[in-house]
Amino acid sequence: MNNVIKGISYFVLLVLIQALILNNIHFLRLITPFLYLYFIVKMPVGFTSARVTFLSFLLGLIIDIFSNTPGMHAAACTFAGFARPAIIKVLMGDELPDAISPSFKTFGYGGFFRYAIVLVVLHHFTLFIAEALTLFDPLFLLIRIVASVVATTLLICIVEAFNVEGQRND
Amino acid sequence: MRKLLDFLIGKRHWFLFIFLEFVSIALIYRNNAYQQSVMFSTANIITANIVSVTGSVTSYLNLREKNKDLLERNGKLEMELLRMKDMIEAMKADTAVFRAFVNDSARFFPYDFTTAKVINNSVTYLSNYITLNKGRKDGILPDMGVVSESGVVGVVSTVSDYYAVVLPLLNTKFKLSCKVLGSNHIGSLSWNGRSARYANLDELPRHVQFQIGDTIVTSGYSAVFPEGILVGFVSSFERQRDDNFNSLKVELATDFQRLSNVMVIRNFRQEKQWAIEREAQGDE
Repeated sequence: MNNVIKGISYFVLLVLIQALILNNIHFLRLITPFLYLYFIVKMPVGFTSARVTFLSFLLGLIIDIFSNTPGMHAAACTFAGFARPAIIKVLMGDELPDAISPSFKTFGYGGFFRYAIVLVVLHHFTLFIAEALTLFDPLFLLIRIVASVVATTLLICIVEAFNVEGQRND
Repeated sequence: MRKLLDFLIGKRHWFLFIFLEFVSIALIYRNNAYQQSVMFSTANIITANIVSVTGSVTSYLNLREKNKDLLERNGKLEMELLRMKDMIEAMKADTAVFRAFVNDSARFFPYDFTTAKVINNSVTYLSNYITLNKGRKDGILPDMGVVSESGVVGVVSTVSDYYAVVLPLLNTKFKLSCKVLGSNHIGSLSWNGRSARYANLDELPRHVQFQIGDTIVTSGYSAVFPEGILVGFVSSFERQRDDNFNSLKVELATDFQRLSNVMVIRNFRQEKQWAIEREAQGDE
């Protein structure tokens, strides 16, 4: 029960931060960090694929409603959420206990960073491709993807480093 | 049979994944059209209330500059008014007054406007949208034109009871018919997704004379904007591939990055114009 409340508060807080603050950032017209991915990053390892996929979809849909881009974030999040169990399996192996959430402590600094960046790359790639369906400009697209991936991953790692709750989790 | 069921249950996340992706793509395509559904946009009452929090905070940030802009604009309009009064006086002096025509001067001007506040705005995406704090209850309807104190902003696309979403010039789906001030040939203005300061005016016939710095205004053909509203200034141009048209790079007059108050224009004759245009197209 406690975990459910924790999860919901993460969800609401990240959506609000994204919708009210980060969506207004457009550094050099290229970079918008999508910190809300932190929610997908932090879901417990033991969650089933179906559950992660569904929660990711829901998160994406709500972000979509706030940014007037119906379907784009939803598609990208669904894909990232769907791929997450496979990423964890490939990067960290099968032997992780179900109850832990990915963090610097449980995955190690390198492990967490690799895991976060793969997830972010998958998400951003899908998101920007979905957006580019309306207008195709390959070089600009690539620059935007790379710049936003760097910003989002950095932000996720910074938030993780300051997330006391994540450190004493286990 | 049992094996098949086991297989299906074992792979249920695949089905869920495919289903959800399908829903997302359906949403993308369904909403790619000019009109969005209210539920999935910031015109929806809950999201609009939440985003208006930041809107009301940021609206205080550049009040000083806004004030300066408005004063300047006010001064310009006053000068224009004086010049026009002067012109009218001069004309009156030169014209023999014929009483029977007096009624003619009170011609009906079919436009009216409402002011609204921008509560949410984006300039980074390829499809940007602006949310306004007024909606159907304030008389705002889809397809009304939106202008700022400095120039054209966009067209209302989705309206809920208290909020409206505007499709601005900075949206790759938006096209606006424009002309160079002083000529009557129209071209089509669209955005290329790069800089929030510039848009492109294409399909302008090559023989139209213009210079760098010339003013681009609305053509008034669309029934959304009156004729002659400022859009921007020519900043550079190039021949289009087929050589009969020029493509102009236009510096937009509206600064979308710090938009805070706008006017929504209502054309009382819009529906009539569209009805008759549809009728004409149907006749073909």
